[in-house]
Amino acid sequence: MRASFVFSEVLTGLRRNITMTIAMILTTAISLGLLGGGLLIVRTIDKMQDIYYDKVEVAVYLTDEVSANDKECTQQPCAGLRSQIEQTSGVDTVTYENRDQVYERFKQMFQAQPELLDLTRPESLPATIRVKLDDPERSDVLIKAFEGQQGVKKIDDQGTLLSRLFDVLNGVRNGAFAIALVQALAALLLISNTIQVSAYTRRTEVGIMRLVGATRWYTQLPFLIEAVVAGLIGAILAVVGLGLAKTFFLDSALAGPIKSGIIPAVDFLDILYVSPYLFLVAAGISAITGYVTLRMYVRL
Amino acid sequence: MIRLEHVSKVYKTSTRPALDDVSVEVGKGEFVFLIGPSGSGKSTFLRLLLREEVPSKGRVYVSNFDVARMARRRIPRLRQSIGCVFQDFRLLVNKTVAENVAFALEVIGKPRHTIRKVVPEVLQLVGLESKADRMPHELSGGEQQRVAIARAFVNRPLVLLADEPTGNLDPDTSQDIMLLLERISRTGTTILMATHDHSIVDSMRRRVVELSMGRVIRDDARGVYGVGR
Repeated sequence: MRASFVFSEVLTGLRRNITMTIAMILTTAISLGLLGGGLLIVRTIDKMQDIYYDKVEVAVYLTDEVSANDKECTQQPCAGLRSQIEQTSGVDTVTYENRDQVYERFKQMFQAQPELLDLTRPESLPATIRVKLDDPERSDVLIKAFEGQQGVKKIDDQGTLLSRLFDVLNGVRNGAFAIALVQALAALLLISNTIQVSAYTRRTEVGIMRLVGATRWYTQLPFLIEAVVAGLIGAILAVVGLGLAKTFFLDSALAGPIKSGIIPAVDFLDILYVSPYLFLVAAGISAITGYVTLRMYVRL
Repeated sequence: MIRLEHVSKVYKTSTRPALDDVSVEVGKGEFVFLIGPSGSGKSTFLRLLLREEVPSKGRVYVSNFDVARMARRRIPRLRQSIGCVFQDFRLLVNKTVAENVAFALEVIGKPRHTIRKVVPEVLQLVGLESKADRMPHELSGGEQQRVAIARAFVNRPLVLLADEPTGNLDPDTSQDIMLLLERISRTGTTILMATHDHSIVDSMRRRVVELSMGRVIRDDARGVYGVGR
């Protein structure tokens, strides 16, 4: 197999069909870009889970009666609740904060909003048992067991708030994947079509190649490589596009949440991390599409 | 070199067989005219030898290839030992004469130094060494057919199939092409030429196999195109 021959065939093939080639590359790029975006969201969610799950707690708010009278959680029902919680499987640590401690924490959290602090009296805050779980996603067991028990006012799972945020992100991710899939289908059809057109415009060459006894690989490889090259160019564009989207859109749009640490920043390393997958998918899909097209639709 | 044994070919779209129990044997270095009206089975005959078609019945041998039964992956080997020339030349319009000839070797993976050596040789054989860098459209019909013959012969095939090679040429040019084919025949290459050209067949006095309605109706060692036609 002469590499220079195949290479020059590929180049002429791509040039000859320039409009179709561009359409094919752009569609592939968009599809891969969305796929890459989805993968970046997956990565972000993973990072967020790492960050948050260390901090997420289930807060068991106690009734006013307990809050007012039991500063050290030594009386019933607080002490009983506490030991029951400690014995529940999956519970990591349990801490008790009485009303004053809760108020201190509250003051810290809202120090930027003095008018809110003025309005809030310590008496309106409940004493709280803070529970850290081994697996924050298993909070429902705890909630089911202690909700409505004597002394318990309300159980607040920070995890549910977080999972709502994750639900939104997952939704965006699924949307990106869905559009990527539709685009991939369009890209697939374009690749197939381009190869057929390409094979048709080169039918004289291919006819002669067959006649003089060129092997199947020799006749078909230029078409395959053509498809793969276009796919890879699409992948490059997709990666560049992700980089641009990060620099000019994400960074400014999410500047606030990123700075306050709510959402981890997407950095170029993340894009670098997902790009091999994009290249792999691009090469794989275009090669397979090309092969199937040549086998099924093009008589070479 | 070529042997057909009781070969029949029926196309799915037709009720009448394109070839009907044809048996022909052609020895090494023979020059054979295949004649007959359109639809008599000449093209099918040639296509069977190239394994473009598979016979419905019978066996086809070219050199030591069992053409009808060999594995698909061996087809390139078969075709590398057969050269082909057509009425419409089939040159690549965007390549020069030399590139057209070289193309046939490039695509079967011949090394570059071999190509550089044999292409000028074969161009000299067909008398076009001075036009190696011309484009096909700059050549006359006869010259274009010479390029096509050079391309068919450059890999030194055992068999040369020519399907109406003079069909698009005037009588004088046709004579030149026949002289060229005769010269190639003398190198020991078996030549099978399908034609309608009476005068050429009559003047060459070579073996004539005549087909009609898919059957061999005549096989003369030193034939003419036809009596009373």
